[in-house]
Amino acid sequence: MELFDSLILGFSAAVTPTNLLFCLIGALLGTLIGVLPGIGPTATLAILLPITFFLPPLAALIMLAGIFYGAQYGGSTTAILVNLPGEASSVVTALDGYQMAKQGRAGAALAIAALGSFFAGTVATIGLAIAGPTLAGFALSFGPAEYFSLTIFGLLCATVLASGSVIKAIAMIGIGLVLGWVGTDVNSGSERLTFGAVELFDGIEFVVIAVGLFGIAEIIINLETPELRGLIATKISRLWPTRDDFQKAWPAVLRGTALGTFLGILPGGGATLSAFSAYTLEKKVSRQPQQFGRGAIQGVAGPEAANNAGAQSSFIPLLTLGIPSNAVMAMLLGAMTIHGITPGPSVMQNQPDLFWGLIASMWIGNLMLLVINLPMIGLWVKLLTVPYRLLYPAILLFCCVGVYSVSNRAFDVALAVGFGFLGYLFRKAKCEPGPLLLGFVLGPLLETNLRRAMLISQGSPSVFIDRPISLALLIASAALFLLLLVPAIRKTREEAFVDEEA
Amino acid sequence: MLKALKTFCIGALAVSATAGVAHAEWPKDRPIEIIVAFAPGGSTDVMARAMQPYLEKELGAKIVIINKPGASGEIAYTQLSQAKPDGYTFSFINTPGYLSMQVQRKLRYDPKSIQAVARIVDDPTAFVVKADSPLKSLKDLVAQAKANPKSVSVGSSGVGTDDHLATILLESAAGVSLTHVPFPGAGETRTALLGGHITVGGLNVSEFASGDTSSVRPLVHFGDKRSPEAPDVPMAQEQGFEVFMSSERGLAARRDVPADIRTKFSDAVKKVVDNPEFKEQAKKLSLPLAYLSGEEWEQQMPKRLQAFQDIWNKTPWVQ
Repeated sequence: MELFDSLILGFSAAVTPTNLLFCLIGALLGTLIGVLPGIGPTATLAILLPITFFLPPLAALIMLAGIFYGAQYGGSTTAILVNLPGEASSVVTALDGYQMAKQGRAGAALAIAALGSFFAGTVATIGLAIAGPTLAGFALSFGPAEYFSLTIFGLLCATVLASGSVIKAIAMIGIGLVLGWVGTDVNSGSERLTFGAVELFDGIEFVVIAVGLFGIAEIIINLETPELRGLIATKISRLWPTRDDFQKAWPAVLRGTALGTFLGILPGGGATLSAFSAYTLEKKVSRQPQQFGRGAIQGVAGPEAANNAGAQSSFIPLLTLGIPSNAVMAMLLGAMTIHGITPGPSVMQNQPDLFWGLIASMWIGNLMLLVINLPMIGLWVKLLTVPYRLLYPAILLFCCVGVYSVSNRAFDVALAVGFGFLGYLFRKAKCEPGPLLLGFVLGPLLETNLRRAMLISQGSPSVFIDRPISLALLIASAALFLLLLVPAIRKTREEAFVDEEA
Repeated sequence: MLKALKTFCIGALAVSATAGVAHAEWPKDRPIEIIVAFAPGGSTDVMARAMQPYLEKELGAKIVIINKPGASGEIAYTQLSQAKPDGYTFSFINTPGYLSMQVQRKLRYDPKSIQAVARIVDDPTAFVVKADSPLKSLKDLVAQAKANPKSVSVGSSGVGTDDHLATILLESAAGVSLTHVPFPGAGETRTALLGGHITVGGLNVSEFASGDTSSVRPLVHFGDKRSPEAPDVPMAQEQGFEVFMSSERGLAARRDVPADIRTKFSDAVKKVVDNPEFKEQAKKLSLPLAYLSGEEWEQQMPKRLQAFQDIWNKTPWVQ
């Protein structure tokens, strides 16, 4: 009953006119920047930070948090409509979402994404309220050895992302790993593959690669084949998902929510992995895995739920331990300290209205996002009927603005264009960019955690099997690997591939 | 189309012409750009944004903060060295990175073309352990490292940062061997420390004092006097180790910016640092304010630069 009282306290704090207004502003702003690729929540939070000095602490935090989860909603919109993922988690949404849009089912994809996100947000918020402090302790037990084993598991998942040849998928992961080497090595401080370019000292930005390989390459492909222009070949049949869509989507949403809530707690990489893992899981449990990559609604529903649940539960380490799990949480930490709040175990005891108010506002914010986003679907889908000759310069412009704004430099824009042409060649060679991006994201995580674990254990590799969580993850990876090798599964994969050729 | 281009060109010319005559009116005619060499959300960025409204009021000018992250600041400093010397571009500089990079690699800009304008913060490097750690003092730490070389792991915010350099200095002063574990930032170091994955976290005084202090315990800091933010934490010197290291933050401009503009700007920064309202903000952020004029700050730099050169010659921290 204590929880019930706390939630009532939270809602009474969050449902004041001021706080509701700032929740709405945050959610709207978040949706907007989520739709624009590249202009991420971190930069927006930084710009708005000085303004929040003059707001009451709770209103400030509610608005900043709203921007963060609002961006998660908005990010999937461009991924589905124009194959333009703005961040790591929406890469997966683009895989099947964009295919659905091409088949005239953009409305269904958007609706399922919004509904799935809302459900996941609700569950994760409740999870945060009930089990936050306990789960946070668990997150701390993830050290370098555990992250290494988790990343191994994630990389194996990456091979499942591809709908075509496994060999090509592995090759693409390899290219992604090499791209992840570029930059200054964290452990030794020496430069790798930078060719002396100061712009490459910190490696390549994710957005640069994603916008190039997905967004720009897509535009080139579309311009090459005149009959495909106008984005959608078929007529838009209906805006709302069918009964069949719902039936397929809801178990996927459930699984995605569970996975996302859990992985989101892990600081560093957890939230990114959640969408990828959810996709892998859906493809594995599906009776028609060959549908994935060709507009399977589960491929949108699962990852979208996982991604939003992960965004919600990444607040847990911040609020309960004072540990920011990503750049956005670091900004929120900054905002809290400016208001004289010390994030950590003491917040819940000393300022319960703030802690529970923020949690309650997240649910209210998610509800607002649903109300904002569902009626907008019609509008978004109409956008697709704009002639492509008018649409593509606009998409290209947003790509450039977004890429430039990541670090404010033109070098990145040129690099993204380069990746655009590379992506075009990949498409011609029937190589899919999804596994490449996962390799790129996970490669550096794998390497730094391996080296860190070995440093701390003073060179003894037994650390990976001595620690129970690490051991469990390695066993799970081995099981997944075997599953990939099982001939029967391989056969279905090849059948799928033959289908595509035919 | 051609006509539009023409109009645009004329417009651009008109704008640049007005900008050309504006020098006399500094700082009124356009916004002052202040470059932050780190991503939004970092401690330098948060400090810059906390100062922004106060500095705008002091100068009566608009200020725009531009993040130019990358290459531990080299990208930002290169940009500063290429800006027009008209007093409309400043950049934050952070030591020891600003100095140690001059030792460790060939740079894209000439460090002599940049002049410090004002120091704002002097934040001592500290060694922090988990609250339940058996280590009670720096002496305990050294004793354990002596008995069992490499068994003490020290997390830092990266290769060549103040935490890392302090570790190297301590190793040589105490004759011990520590295991240095670099992380991308202080947040990650803190997480690894709380999880018990590393023995010691190299954090700055402001970094642990602004967070939740119930689960961590500072052992020692490497400042040259007791810190007002953490008055109970002893200095390394008091424990018998002559190791000094801190991270300073301040503002710099091109050396050929007119002296009167630099002085006016430096004085405005001093007024902000002395402003009780800003002091209150700084206290919440645990910023150890320590204003120095550009000249005073620059006087200290050659000595520190030499110290880094000496460490580098003995143990280069980048292979």
